[in-house]
Amino acid sequence: MEAGAGTPPRSMTARAAAGAARVERRRRSAPNGIWGMALFLCSEATIFGTLMATYFYLDFDAHRWPPAGIERPTIAWPSIATGWLVLSMIPIWLASRSARRGARRLTLGSIWVACAMQCLYLAAQILLFRHDLLHFSPKGSAYGSIYFTMLAADHAHVALGIALDAALLLFITLRGLANYWLIGVRGLAIYWYAVTVITVLVLCTQLSPSF
Amino acid sequence: MATVITPRGQRQVQRLERIWIERKGLLGWITTTDHKRIGIMYFFTSLILFGAGGAEALTIRTQLFGPNNHVVSPETYDQLFTMHGVTMIFLFVIPMTTGAFGNYLVPLMIGARDMAFPRMNAVSYWLFLGSAVFIYMGLASGHAPNAGWFDYVPLASKAYDPGNNIDFYGYGLIFNGIASTATSINIIVTIFKLRAPGMSFNRMPLFCFAFLAVSFSLLFALPSLSVACLFLELDRQLGFHFYDAAHGGDPLLWQNLFWIFGHPEVYIIILPAFGIATAIIPTFSHRKMVFFPLVALAELLVAFLGFGVWVHHMFVVGYATITTVYFAAASMIIVIPSAIQLFAWITTILTGKPQFKTPLLWIIGFIVYFMIGGLSGVTVAAIPFDQQVEDSYYIVAHFHFVIFGAAVFPILGGMYFWFPKVTGRMYHEGLGKLSFWLTFVGTFVVFFPMHILGILGMPRRVYTYPPGMGWTFINQSETVGAFLLAAGLLLIVGNLTWSYFRGAEAGNDPWEGDTLEWSTTSPPPPYNYPVIPTVTSPYAMWDKSDRELDSRRLERGEGVLQQGHETVASTVQDAEWDEIVSMPPHSLWPFLVGLAAPGGFAMLLLHHYWIAAGFLVLAGLLLIGWHHREVAA
Amino acid sequence: MAPALRDRPRRRPLRGIAVAIALGVVLGGCGRQSIVSPRSPQTHDIRTLWWWMLGVGGIVFLGAIVMLTMAYLRRDVRGLPFIGDREPIAQGLVVMFGIAIPLVVLVALFGVSDVYLIDSTSPPDPRTTAMTVEVIGHQWWWEVHYRGTGAVTANEIHIPVETRVNVVATSADVIHSFWVPQLARKIDEVPGRQNRVLLYADRPGSYRGQCAEFCGAQHAHMALYVIAQPMAQFRAWLAAMSAPARNPSGGAAAIGRRLFEADQCASCHQIRGVTAPVTVGPDLTHLATRSSLAAATIPNRPSYLERWIANPQSIKPGDRMPDLGLPRWQISDIVAYLDSLR
Repeated sequence: MEAGAGTPPRSMTARAAAGAARVERRRRSAPNGIWGMALFLCSEATIFGTLMATYFYLDFDAHRWPPAGIERPTIAWPSIATGWLVLSMIPIWLASRSARRGARRLTLGSIWVACAMQCLYLAAQILLFRHDLLHFSPKGSAYGSIYFTMLAADHAHVALGIALDAALLLFITLRGLANYWLIGVRGLAIYWYAVTVITVLVLCTQLSPSF
Repeated sequence: MATVITPRGQRQVQRLERIWIERKGLLGWITTTDHKRIGIMYFFTSLILFGAGGAEALTIRTQLFGPNNHVVSPETYDQLFTMHGVTMIFLFVIPMTTGAFGNYLVPLMIGARDMAFPRMNAVSYWLFLGSAVFIYMGLASGHAPNAGWFDYVPLASKAYDPGNNIDFYGYGLIFNGIASTATSINIIVTIFKLRAPGMSFNRMPLFCFAFLAVSFSLLFALPSLSVACLFLELDRQLGFHFYDAAHGGDPLLWQNLFWIFGHPEVYIIILPAFGIATAIIPTFSHRKMVFFPLVALAELLVAFLGFGVWVHHMFVVGYATITTVYFAAASMIIVIPSAIQLFAWITTILTGKPQFKTPLLWIIGFIVYFMIGGLSGVTVAAIPFDQQVEDSYYIVAHFHFVIFGAAVFPILGGMYFWFPKVTGRMYHEGLGKLSFWLTFVGTFVVFFPMHILGILGMPRRVYTYPPGMGWTFINQSETVGAFLLAAGLLLIVGNLTWSYFRGAEAGNDPWEGDTLEWSTTSPPPPYNYPVIPTVTSPYAMWDKSDRELDSRRLERGEGVLQQGHETVASTVQDAEWDEIVSMPPHSLWPFLVGLAAPGGFAMLLLHHYWIAAGFLVLAGLLLIGWHHREVAA
Repeated sequence: MAPALRDRPRRRPLRGIAVAIALGVVLGGCGRQSIVSPRSPQTHDIRTLWWWMLGVGGIVFLGAIVMLTMAYLRRDVRGLPFIGDREPIAQGLVVMFGIAIPLVVLVALFGVSDVYLIDSTSPPDPRTTAMTVEVIGHQWWWEVHYRGTGAVTANEIHIPVETRVNVVATSADVIHSFWVPQLARKIDEVPGRQNRVLLYADRPGSYRGQCAEFCGAQHAHMALYVIAQPMAQFRAWLAAMSAPARNPSGGAAAIGRRLFEADQCASCHQIRGVTAPVTVGPDLTHLATRSSLAAATIPNRPSYLERWIANPQSIKPGDRMPDLGLPRWQISDIVAYLDSLR
């Protein structure tokens, strides 16, 4: 029983894609869920800021960095892999845009493509990680400790992103592109943008001795 | 003046009452997502932990009563002072302020019906409880953390502390940090998005500014602690070398990471106290806060500047003079926003017509002790002096004045202030005043002489001391003071407990308060407000015309939002009504996640890493499951 | 500084005087470790700074109390005396007391303490110091080396009066902090770092210091003495410290020496010229010259030394020295030997 045509919408009632898109168009302010995701990402970004700062702190203190016996990191493969992850932001962006317009199929398709690209990226990174472990150990030096911890944290966030992809694919397939899932896709997109930026920065940190 | 509900308005209210039914019994509390119930759970849990921390303190003071005392062994003493610090900071002050006061009051003050993420609110509580139980399992098993609340390495490394004492600390604080991070995200989004229409930022109560500042601080400070603890556990469990000088690591890395968290932490501890003070002072002084915008800005500035001063905890580690001088300068700058607030409060009380009832007495006590603690803080920004008194009882005096005198006094005052609102009854004023004076005197007697002890050269964290140093009599009086303080605190508990059952009825607004919570019933109904209020000034309750308008809107059914558990989402800056969002009513999922998490951490502690990973996956699945019930976000 | 090798006079009176000084100061009461009993220019300046800060702080505090008292006395009247309650004036007060006055006071304090005074508490330029003493922190004792000499001791540092001494502080295990309040500011001993602090005493005396960074179970019992002596006496002492241990003349002491070598003692404690170098526990080469034992926890007298060897855990529970379970007669012979190590 709300008076007036100017009453703002009840977002919950938008269960189908078209309704959700209408609600989305009417909004003037980012929904709560987007703010929540953005703030969560502030916290995660700070974690990575701390990891990178630690890397440079230990670097600054050290006589030789990497220490004797450890080769400087190769630039090629990690950069190619990271480039691939950056490319996967295209389908992510597309997913977000389609969701906002209520295009359910396109949204699903884009997330599938992005997810596949990201899985490939993660597989490549795991191989590189294992390759590094064969040459030096996190238990051997502070360099190894920060190198592997920083990379592992980054890969863990990528894995979490893939899990989020999967969860959204599940729910949108089963429930349709309701307002709730539309916001989920928007949240997923900013999650991936942040993780990609962080990955690029982590890459630069990781490769800094080789520049 | 409360919102008057006419007979026509009553029909609207009845519909709300049917929608917002609270589940009864234990299951009701376990599945609750109501910010008020969650706030109450936080309140009692952190109060019990306050008692535990207090018992630890009294044992410490008893051991220090005389020289070469044998009340407890050195090993036990080390666990006691460590647990005292960890409990008071992580398991009492933060949960009590952000979890209890923040959760209960922020939605009420901004005219909302709940927090932005009610289920996440519940999970924050269960994770907090889990982390408290986890850490206390350490004490129960005789392996409590024992390297101090700031746990310096190499003392906390595997080589020098091989048992699992430190693991309770490292894992426990990461665990606790997740809960606090979730709470701070919730508070920020609630304040940004759920404010009543018309409550632009410059019309928001100062209490909310303080909690906004605290939440941002927590958000950006906790990662540093979590990373520090992660490195610590990696070093301890897997043989990594972050802190190991022999392999390219650095023990000072721990100190830097810890204090990058640790200094903002102390502002996190005190900012809610500022918020409570700025709620109580205008009410009891019957005057608007002097220079409101500057006070709001100062609250935010304190939080922001607090990130730039951490090395002042490390003036004696041997850093270059230029480094220490920079941080001393930054530490002095931070005095200014604190001084602004201090004098704004004093001037408001001075120019108003203050009623010195119990809540205001606590705030006066807070002002006095904040001055003492703040002034001793300024003295240690003078580096040469700090290099004498660092790690002595002078520092113990300083931080107890600012943490206990300045952060806890407003909590105690706030308990009295909002007691009528939460319970619907008035406390006993005479006993209230007595409990204040007892606590105030006890605080002075126990902590003030510590300044002298530090000047006389007594280091901190010593389980005993030799006779003939001039320290004995001072220690003895401090112990007496501690018991006096404990008596004061027990009297508060006694007063409030008795008043809960036998106190006079309070009514909606016994204090003629200025913020919105005084417009609704005592205690508030589950839906907080029958009609979402509209606001045109920072002192919403003192705008009679606005509150009359609310009554009329209630009659017309405007802004009642009865199609479910609904509240208003507004634009961030000007609080224009943007959409209607729906709150999840009850949910078991947060409790289940709250069970999975301690399981995971316990497995980490016991070195069962694969099982711990399993718990992580379980928690992930639970989080997915919980989202199957869609609400508007 | 090269020690002069010459016949040493009997040390007993000197050790006795040291013990007497220590005991006297122990029983003497206040001021032993006090920041406001300075015995060097550095600590003297810090004390002066403290009194000034206390004074100014006290005035500020009293001012606030006066305002609060006024608020109470005038609680039925709105506004300030004569001025009433006008928001611009109230705001002006906030700006004056909250910004302007604090700014002035803070700038002054910063200038005096963090620009001017800090020079005297900064690490000394090695070229301005007469000698270097390395102080290495252990759980829970202090290892002391006089750089450039063979002098090694523990838990007791001697310095010549009115001489600038460069102390190099580091740690062999966890972080400790070297603090002798009457003589100098404290400096942390961090493993992997060589921190430096100036030590200077303007008059002879025995100055107590204590570890000031929590370092484990016996942090409370990790103290030390710095003994400032006239230069000649110091030189004699230093020469004595550099020399290897005296051979016992016979009797119980000789037996004690053999026991020392045969029992576990030598696995932790070195006696230069007798046992192999080891730094698990303090160097005992000239133990008899020290005024105290167990890092200034107990006086250095035979009865205490016996108790210590028999049952160190009863004096410093958790200490690294275990209860060895030695029979009484062995202990008294060992004590006789250690008592001869002047």
